[in-house]
Amino acid sequence: MSIQTLLMELVLMPLVAFVVGLFMVLMLRRIGAKLQRRVGPPMMQPLYDIVKLYSKKTQISHGWMHDIGIIMAVGGYVAAETLLPVPGMDGIADKGGLVTLVYMMMVPSLGLALGVGQCANPNGSIGIARALTSMLAYDVPFVIVVFGVAWYFGTTNLVDIIAIQQAGGVAGWGAITMPLLAIAGLFALQGMLGKQPFEIYIAPAEIATGPMVEMSGKYLGGLFVMQCFQLYTAGVLYVSLFLGGGENWLFFLIKVFAVVAIPMTVAFLFPRYKTEQMIRLMWKWPVMIGLLGLAFVMH
Amino acid sequence: MKEIDIPIEASVGQSRTNPLARVFDELVRFCRSRSMFMLHYCTGCGAIELPPAMTSRFDMERLGIQPMVTPRQADILLITGYVSIKTLKRVILTYEQMGSPKYVIGICSCTVNGGMYWQSYATAKQLDQYLPVDLYIAGCMPRPEAVLEGMRKLMDRIRSDEADGWKDYYRRYDWYLGNQQHLFGDDWQTPADVIGEASHYDLAGPGTEGEHTRLLQQCQKPLEPQQTFFQIGGSLEKKGEFHE
Repeated sequence: MSIQTLLMELVLMPLVAFVVGLFMVLMLRRIGAKLQRRVGPPMMQPLYDIVKLYSKKTQISHGWMHDIGIIMAVGGYVAAETLLPVPGMDGIADKGGLVTLVYMMMVPSLGLALGVGQCANPNGSIGIARALTSMLAYDVPFVIVVFGVAWYFGTTNLVDIIAIQQAGGVAGWGAITMPLLAIAGLFALQGMLGKQPFEIYIAPAEIATGPMVEMSGKYLGGLFVMQCFQLYTAGVLYVSLFLGGGENWLFFLIKVFAVVAIPMTVAFLFPRYKTEQMIRLMWKWPVMIGLLGLAFVMH
Repeated sequence: MKEIDIPIEASVGQSRTNPLARVFDELVRFCRSRSMFMLHYCTGCGAIELPPAMTSRFDMERLGIQPMVTPRQADILLITGYVSIKTLKRVILTYEQMGSPKYVIGICSCTVNGGMYWQSYATAKQLDQYLPVDLYIAGCMPRPEAVLEGMRKLMDRIRSDEADGWKDYYRRYDWYLGNQQHLFGDDWQTPADVIGEASHYDLAGPGTEGEHTRLLQQCQKPLEPQQTFFQIGGSLEKKGEFHE
C-alpha cells in the first residue's frame, strides 16, 4: 500500500464514520419516536444540532483540562476508526489489531473523566464516577468476548478475522459458530452504548445528564460528534467479530444499522438499574454466558 | 411586547472579507432555528400544557425542539407562569448561565402583566423588565397549539436574525440590573460576570455600564465555596471543625 493511499484512508475512514454515525443518531431518535407514536425529528436533525452547538457565540470553559478532555474524547474514537476495517479500506487495522482497538475505545471515557473533573459540578462528578464504574462492569464481559473470538480464529488481526468468516459464508460467521459469545457481546454492547437499563450515569431527571452537565456550545457539540463515533465503532466492531464484516458497503451498512438498532429497541422496555445492580448483573449473566461460550470455543 | 427604544448601531470594524460569509451566516441561522434545546423553568400552571406539546399528540421534536435539563445546554428558557420574587432570582441565575445566543419565552398572561397575581406583593409583574423576553405566548393557559405556534414564530424570528434579546441584555445590562436591584436590594449579585462577557465578545453597548453596575461593584462580595455540612449522629458538624 502506497503512502498516499494510506493517508487518504486515514482521513476518509473517520469521515465516513462520522457521516454514518449521524444517520445512526437519527435512526435511534426515529426509533424512539416511533415507539412513542411520535413523528420524530427530520432527516438532517443531528447535523442541525451539531452546527448549532458549534456556532454558539459564548463558550463557557472551566479551564484547559476541560478543553483537552473533549479533544481526548473525540480523538480516541477518531483513532479507533482507523483501526476498524470497512469494505475497501483497511487503514492501519492489520498493524493495530484488536487489542489496540479495545484500548483506544477506553480513551474517550478517561478523557471525559478528566474534563468533567475540572468542571467541579457535583452532578458531573457523580455522573462520571458512575460512568467509569459501569465501564468496569461492561468491560469484563467485553474482554471475555474479544478474547474468545481471538482464540477461535487464532489471531487478533481484525482483517484476518473478517477474511476467515467471509471464506466460510454465513455458516462461518462468528454469531453461528460462537452463539454464546455473541449473546454476551450484545449485553456488553447495551452497556457500552449506555442505553436503558444501563444509563444510570446519564439519568437526566436525577443528576442532570451527569458528565454532560457543564458542557455548553462547542463542548456539547464535541460530545454529540463523539456519540456518532461511539455508535459507529460499537456497531462495526460487533459486525466484524460476529457477522462477517462487510462484503460490500450495502450489506455492511445494513448489518451495522441492524446491530445498533437492537439496543435502542430494547431500551424502551426497561427502567434503569442502580450502579451496583448493573455491576452485579453484568458480572453475573454476560460473564457466565461468555465463560461458557469460551469453554465451548476452547474445549 | 412593549416597544423599547433600542439605539441602532452600525456594525463598524466587522468587515467580512470571506466571500462565503453571507452563505455561512445563513446556514448558521437556519441551523439555530431548526435546533432549539429548551430549558423549561416550570414556575406556574402553564407547565401543564407542555407534556402534550412534547409527547405524541403534538410532538415538538419534529420541529427540532428538545427538552434539556441544564442551562448550559439550553437555547430557550421557557418561563411558564407567574414568577414570584424568590423564583425570579433563580430564573436570572439560570438565564445568565446559558450560552448565547439564548432566547426567553414567557408563557401565560402572568409573565406579561402579572395576570391574576396582579395584586400580589410577592410576584414580579412584567418579566421583560428583568430579562429580555423574545416572545410572549399569552393566554391563561395557552393551549399546546398556541405554544407550538409561538415556537414557530420564534423560529422565523431566529431565521431572520430578529430574535436578539440576548444582545439587548448585554447592551443595556445597567437597566436590567437596576430593575433587579429595585426588587432584590442593593446587594444583589450573580456568579456570572455579564460585563466581562459583554466586553470579551464585543457585545458591550453604551448602556452596559452605569450607576447600577457601579453599585454592584461596590457591594460585590467575592464568591466563596459553600460550606459542607455532614450529618453525623443527628448533629450538624461543619467540615474542618469536625472532631470525634
